[in-house]
Amino acid sequence: MLTQRFSGWLTNSLIYALLITTSAFMILPFIWMVSTSLKPADEIFAIPPIIISPNSSLKAYAYLQSQYNILGIVKNTFVIAFSATILRLFFCALGGYGFAKFKFPGQGALFAFLLGTMVIPGAVTLVPVYIIMRDLKWIDTFWPLIIPGAANAFGIFFMRQYIMSVSSELIDAARIDGAGEFTIFWRIILPIIAPGLTSLGLIFFMGSWNDFIGPLIYLKSPEHFTLPLIIRSLIGPVGRTVYDVQMAASVISLIPLLIIFLIFQRRIVEGITAGAIKG
Amino acid sequence: MSSQNIFKLMVAILLTAILLSACAPATSTESPPAATEGSAATEAPAMTEVPATEAPAATEAPAEASQLSGKVTIWMWKAAHDALTNSGVLDEFKKVQPGVEVEVVEYNPADVYQKLPLALQAGTGAPDISLVENSHLAQIVALGGLTDMTEWVTPYLDKMNAYKWADAELDGKYYAMPWDSGPVVFYYRRDVFDAAGLPSDPDAVSEAVATWDDYFNVCQTIMEKTGSACFSNNKANNYGRLYEMMLWQQGLGYYNEAGEVTVDSPENIATLEMLKKFWDANLTSDQLEWTDGWYAELAAETDAKPIATLVEAAWMGAFLKGWIAPGTEGKWGVALMPTMEEGQVRAANDGGSAFVIPEQSENKEAAWALTEFLFGNVDSQVAIFKASDFLPSLEEAYADPIFSEPDPFFADQPVRPIYVDVVKEVPIAYVYGPNYPEMSGFVATAIQKVGTGQSSVEDALKEAADAIRAQTGMP
Amino acid sequence: MAETSVMKRPNLPMVTKLRKKWTEIYKARWPYLFISPFYILFLIFGVYPILFSFYLSFTEWKGLGPIKFVGLRNFELLLKDKIFWQSMTNGVILFFMYVPILTFLALVLAVILNSKRVRGFRFFRTLLFIPYIMNIVAAGFTFRLLLDQKYGLVNVLLGMFHIPPVPWLESIWGGRVSLCLLVIWAWLGYNMVIMLAGLQTIPGELTEAALIDGASPIQAFFYITIPLMRPVILFSVVLSTMGSFNLFSEIYNLTGGGPINATLTPVIVIFDQAFGNFRLGYASAMSYLYFLILFVLTLLQFRYFGRQVD
Repeated sequence: MLTQRFSGWLTNSLIYALLITTSAFMILPFIWMVSTSLKPADEIFAIPPIIISPNSSLKAYAYLQSQYNILGIVKNTFVIAFSATILRLFFCALGGYGFAKFKFPGQGALFAFLLGTMVIPGAVTLVPVYIIMRDLKWIDTFWPLIIPGAANAFGIFFMRQYIMSVSSELIDAARIDGAGEFTIFWRIILPIIAPGLTSLGLIFFMGSWNDFIGPLIYLKSPEHFTLPLIIRSLIGPVGRTVYDVQMAASVISLIPLLIIFLIFQRRIVEGITAGAIKG
Repeated sequence: MSSQNIFKLMVAILLTAILLSACAPATSTESPPAATEGSAATEAPAMTEVPATEAPAATEAPAEASQLSGKVTIWMWKAAHDALTNSGVLDEFKKVQPGVEVEVVEYNPADVYQKLPLALQAGTGAPDISLVENSHLAQIVALGGLTDMTEWVTPYLDKMNAYKWADAELDGKYYAMPWDSGPVVFYYRRDVFDAAGLPSDPDAVSEAVATWDDYFNVCQTIMEKTGSACFSNNKANNYGRLYEMMLWQQGLGYYNEAGEVTVDSPENIATLEMLKKFWDANLTSDQLEWTDGWYAELAAETDAKPIATLVEAAWMGAFLKGWIAPGTEGKWGVALMPTMEEGQVRAANDGGSAFVIPEQSENKEAAWALTEFLFGNVDSQVAIFKASDFLPSLEEAYADPIFSEPDPFFADQPVRPIYVDVVKEVPIAYVYGPNYPEMSGFVATAIQKVGTGQSSVEDALKEAADAIRAQTGMP
Repeated sequence: MAETSVMKRPNLPMVTKLRKKWTEIYKARWPYLFISPFYILFLIFGVYPILFSFYLSFTEWKGLGPIKFVGLRNFELLLKDKIFWQSMTNGVILFFMYVPILTFLALVLAVILNSKRVRGFRFFRTLLFIPYIMNIVAAGFTFRLLLDQKYGLVNVLLGMFHIPPVPWLESIWGGRVSLCLLVIWAWLGYNMVIMLAGLQTIPGELTEAALIDGASPIQAFFYITIPLMRPVILFSVVLSTMGSFNLFSEIYNLTGGGPINATLTPVIVIFDQAFGNFRLGYASAMSYLYFLILFVLTLLQFRYFGRQVD
């Protein structure tokens, strides 16, 4: 750790300058987004740029609700993200537990295989999976966005590392008491790993919420759309892009995640770093 | 033991969920099957009668058709939807077929071209009708999954602009019904021409830009005298549409009648060289079409260096009037487009669209009834035209008096007869076709390379041509 | 003792061996059950598609109608496909353009925030992390507007400093720089958090000792922090490398692959071929070749860096 040996206010100001510039860079698009969503259309490209317009209104948001039923879209996005997350967490916890606390033949090879699958680029399976979905008649349903993702190698890897640190004595004691394996998992392990589950779950949730390619390929009817698709469909080449409406949709997409993030900051960070450190 | 039970229970729940989803009505095109079966049975005799009674039936057919019911879902873009709504034709249709419910879902063209093929391939999720631009029509027809409309459209084969059927046809069968055509004309700003000391009445302008060489001279004058760019031709992100219009005007294209790739033919090269001249002489604006910057330059005031001219199809007039530059009313004029060589036909096509009916539609009869009512019917087409300036492909419509009315946006010039004259002269060309998206992509890249100085015209086009040959297998 | 152990060593007959194995497996049925969902799902949505994709790569198919067998033709075409190889080159170029900057910046920011020198650690960390939760479609589009050559906010602001308008999205390198800006913007916070975690495993006394001995902070940074952070840096770099070839949403929504194919990545080319041109056979062949190349690259990376870390 670099301590107070930094000399002079010059270094100090340089540091702050860097931090502030970078933060501003990070925040600028977001501010512009919010600002645009509130402005009347003709002020969007005004020069010099107007940040907070005196004519601000929630017109764009109202329009989103009346024309696109944005709340329904939010619901769709939420349902998909939530289901996908729960399913994923369940399978990953289960799988991670299996790898962490048991010894069985072929364990090493199976685990290596699991890690190997993380390398496969999605592009390879894009076409055939689409065909499978078609044959299952799952096109235009939420299933393609929930089921395949449940096989998440990263999640199992993460859970394995996490569960390995759980004391085995509890498990052994439970076995001696005659508890079934699944009961042990459900009643003992799950509560202990709840923090890790939260971290992983948050990462999954955010990923699914912002997922663009999956919905692009699989969702057809507007009532099934998710937020990224709506945002995308509001870009209009022939005929203008209604910028304020589109930015409003983007802001709506961001707010739930922002709230979750502010509340669960610590857990999210834990989730990300666990992969880096224990990996 | 309870562990086992819990596990079994969960597996059971999961399986049930999967099974339920397979039956879940997640698709949007839900029409009660019974109703359409009933009407199909009574519809069949009526359908086979129509061709026998020819021309008068075309405009009267709706009155004779039996009552249909069910829901018809249409995919189209906003501009088209507005045209149908504002013209009142959908309400008219409701009077004729009150049992049919029409639902329009708005998608951008790009989204249609992504979703429709996927739905056709999947065998599910497609609408009852989709609007498709002629540029992409042949590709979708070739993909498969569309209803064979030959029987229905036969009475209209000689009533529409002839060249509109090329993209709808495959192996002698027809899979689409044309809506509108895009005859290319020369839009220009009268005020800019005035400021440059050039004559600004349409006939004089037509003469002044008879060929692209003439056009070049005019542009130089405009740039010298007013500083306005002549037209916009973005370099790095060029779509290639202006180039396509130039090719179409000459009856050329990306391939020829024999199916050979002509992207690198001497004529195609010469055409791009001509376009390059304008870049080299700095006579063009770098705004990309269909961006706010472009709209701004089109709508600019006289002293704010607006774009002076625009070679585009007839539907552009409506856009200029309606939302791009309504504030410039009275400042525009319409003339004939320039030709590459003297004496050539001064006509080309850009755009135009048609309705297709996917095979998986459960309400084909109603879908066709609506299609025919809208586009095979003179009154409907005229009403749509009044509301949108989309030039009907149905030639009978041109007899309507509205086609000779003066248009205040164009300083009271009667512009519509020009559209009609031009559309009748559009040559057969080989720009669109089943491989259009691919070819257009390669050629656009070539144009971008030329524009940014990365490559000579010949090399760029040759590279594109070779890539197209390799990918499509065309010689 | 010696006799019994020798006597216990004869070769057990096959059946007994198998029976032993089977008992072992049966005893372990619970862990197998627990890990099975992953493998089952992967079998359906991973293995089968990969095999089917392999089959498709020798065919021509539009997704509808008959599947036509064409042997090695797709691969022949692929080797000559300039667009595909351009996209691979782009991946390499993009890698060198943004990975070093991203990694270095993430590290520096992490060090700064970690130094407790700065007030508002939480505040800055939150700000820097926000892009990660932003929807990439919205972000890409916003960037596109901000970087518009004539009307975009960035050029307008630069104009106030008398800097001529930069062709962000109108030139080849401008397009690449814009893309890198978007990628760095989106991933800086994420990588910084990874670095922060890594920094926390470095005992503070090491750096303290070095500074007491007279080393400058910069020297401490380069000779102590970085070497100790090697595994974490490697992790970040590996993630970013995979990213540079797999970029899809960022490109799809910012540049579309242009200008002039300057920002195409293999995934976009595959996507276009499959869902734009309906050449499913060709797209499969391409994804296979791409997968092989990426696999070899990853192996090489691990071998090279793996040795270094030791």
